[in-house]
Amino acid sequence: MSTFSNLEFFVVEAFRGIGRSPLMSFVAIGIVTVTLTIFGFFMLGVINLGNVVSTMGAKLDITSYVNKDLSNRDAAELEVRLKKIDGVEKVNYYSKDDSWKDFKEEYSGKLELGEVVSENPLPNTFAIKVRSPEILPNVAAAISKIEEIDEVRYSGKLISQVQNLVEAVRLAGFVFVFLLFFATLLIVVNTIRLTVLARETDIYIMRLVGATSSFVRWPFVIEGIVIGVGGGVFAVLLLRATYETLAFKVSAAFPFLPVVTDSFLLSMVFAAVGITGAMLGMIGGYISVSRLLKNA
Amino acid sequence: MIELKSVIKTFSNGVEALINVTLHVGKEEFIFLVGPSGAGKTTLMKMLYREEIPSSGQVVVDRINVTKLAEDQIPFLRRNIGVVFQDYKLLPRRTVYENVAFALQVTGAPRSQIRRRTMQALELVGMLKRAKSFPSELSGGEKQKTCIARAIVNNPLILLADEPTGNLDPQTSWDIMELLDKINRRKTTVVVATHNKNIVDGMRKRVVVIEGGRITRDQQLGTYSQE
Ligand SMILES: Nc1ncnc2c1ncn2[C@@H]1O[C@H](COP(=O)(O)OP(=O)(O)OP(=O)(O)O)[C@@H](O)[C@H]1O
Ligand SMILES: [Mg+2]
Repeated sequence: MSTFSNLEFFVVEAFRGIGRSPLMSFVAIGIVTVTLTIFGFFMLGVINLGNVVSTMGAKLDITSYVNKDLSNRDAAELEVRLKKIDGVEKVNYYSKDDSWKDFKEEYSGKLELGEVVSENPLPNTFAIKVRSPEILPNVAAAISKIEEIDEVRYSGKLISQVQNLVEAVRLAGFVFVFLLFFATLLIVVNTIRLTVLARETDIYIMRLVGATSSFVRWPFVIEGIVIGVGGGVFAVLLLRATYETLAFKVSAAFPFLPVVTDSFLLSMVFAAVGITGAMLGMIGGYISVSRLLKNA
Repeated sequence: MIELKSVIKTFSNGVEALINVTLHVGKEEFIFLVGPSGAGKTTLMKMLYREEIPSSGQVVVDRINVTKLAEDQIPFLRRNIGVVFQDYKLLPRRTVYENVAFALQVTGAPRSQIRRRTMQALELVGMLKRAKSFPSELSGGEKQKTCIARAIVNNPLILLADEPTGNLDPQTSWDIMELLDKINRRKTTVVVATHNKNIVDGMRKRVVVIEGGRITRDQQLGTYSQE
């Protein structure tokens, strides 16, 4: 009962505070919205880039070709040597005859190959799976040292480039978002401090008649939460609308790009944005009244 | 109820506001603190509710050593001490009722009690019919009555009044004093700092004189100046 009437008191006081400097509160909500929107886009960006990497990573193959004819024994021996290379997980061998048969089967009826090429032009192929994307270049280099291998191909260069990009974006993003949070926190603190200063007598009286520090703090913390959650709600609305249009347009323009549309994952991002807003406001409210409580 | 033992208060700027003050005030007493401006009356009162800490010596209120009180215990000390100021310190955006109820709300009192006790306090000071007014609509005397209601709504053991009649005309001053006397008769220790000679001489209570930070006279049924 008593906790409930306390809560009511805190909430009423919090809204009185907002009502006392409505413009400033509005500005603070706006700034929190901007910050959280940027934060949200940053998270969505990192998630999408990560998704691109893992989709590409699923095709972690090195293909190596041997042009000259191989006997079955030669091929088996080569396969053993390839398997011995550090980081190789699996090796599949496709002889040039098998490949040619597959090829002809696949394209029979579509192309009159017999008229164009009479002889099998395909090489013998070893498809090699490696354990993780980072070691692709090293494994590829080791494979190309084998004399019989004529050519080595892998898509690892792009993958590692994208991966480096993701790392860079993540790092820069963290620093940027951190600074942004800091600046926003300052604005929230100063907004609520206006209320605190306007209520110096209230706080003095509260302390005089024996209100505990936490009791004095709560209305300001709640004021902060209202500002933070307000900003969070606007940011989520903004993010949802923009991301949905953007995702749709990107998918339409670049169908091969795997855009994240998993609604659970997106809900998690939006929830994170909202919670971050609430935290930001809460911390802001807490700090804003601290100085006054200390020297009382 | 109140016990000061060899209390010295030296402010950081070097001012010696209290010098070796020893004072005992019993539970049902009503005392006047008098003395020239700057003598240390307000400082002495602030020691009691831990707004100031003595530089040395001991302050004991209701058997609690205030000097050694932990920070988080201060609110509970203050719930036992009501304070009334010359400048009232009412909250301008709240009504008389809200100003008084505020003192209960912020101590987390149950809602069922807030209304009843607020009404009782307003009744006692005679402000029930002005409960819905804002401080700006009140006379000085009415403001002070509201301030007193706020100070006693918590049923404190001690009521401190620092120049409660400083801004009031003689008749209103007497009304306020009668109110404080009434509260004292309800077994609340009352300490009044004042420059009002007529009132001190008219009430004939215990008078404690402070001059230059020292107690220079402590007289039962005393007067403002020495005869
Ligand atoms: N916070 C402070 N810092 C420094 N000096 C102070 C402080 N508070 C009070 N003083 C000094 O301590 C002395 C006692 O002040 P105090 O307010 O207790 O006097 P008082 O007896 O209440 O005077 P008055 O009758 O005018 O209210 C004064 O010299 C005053 O200047
Ligand atoms: Mg004074």
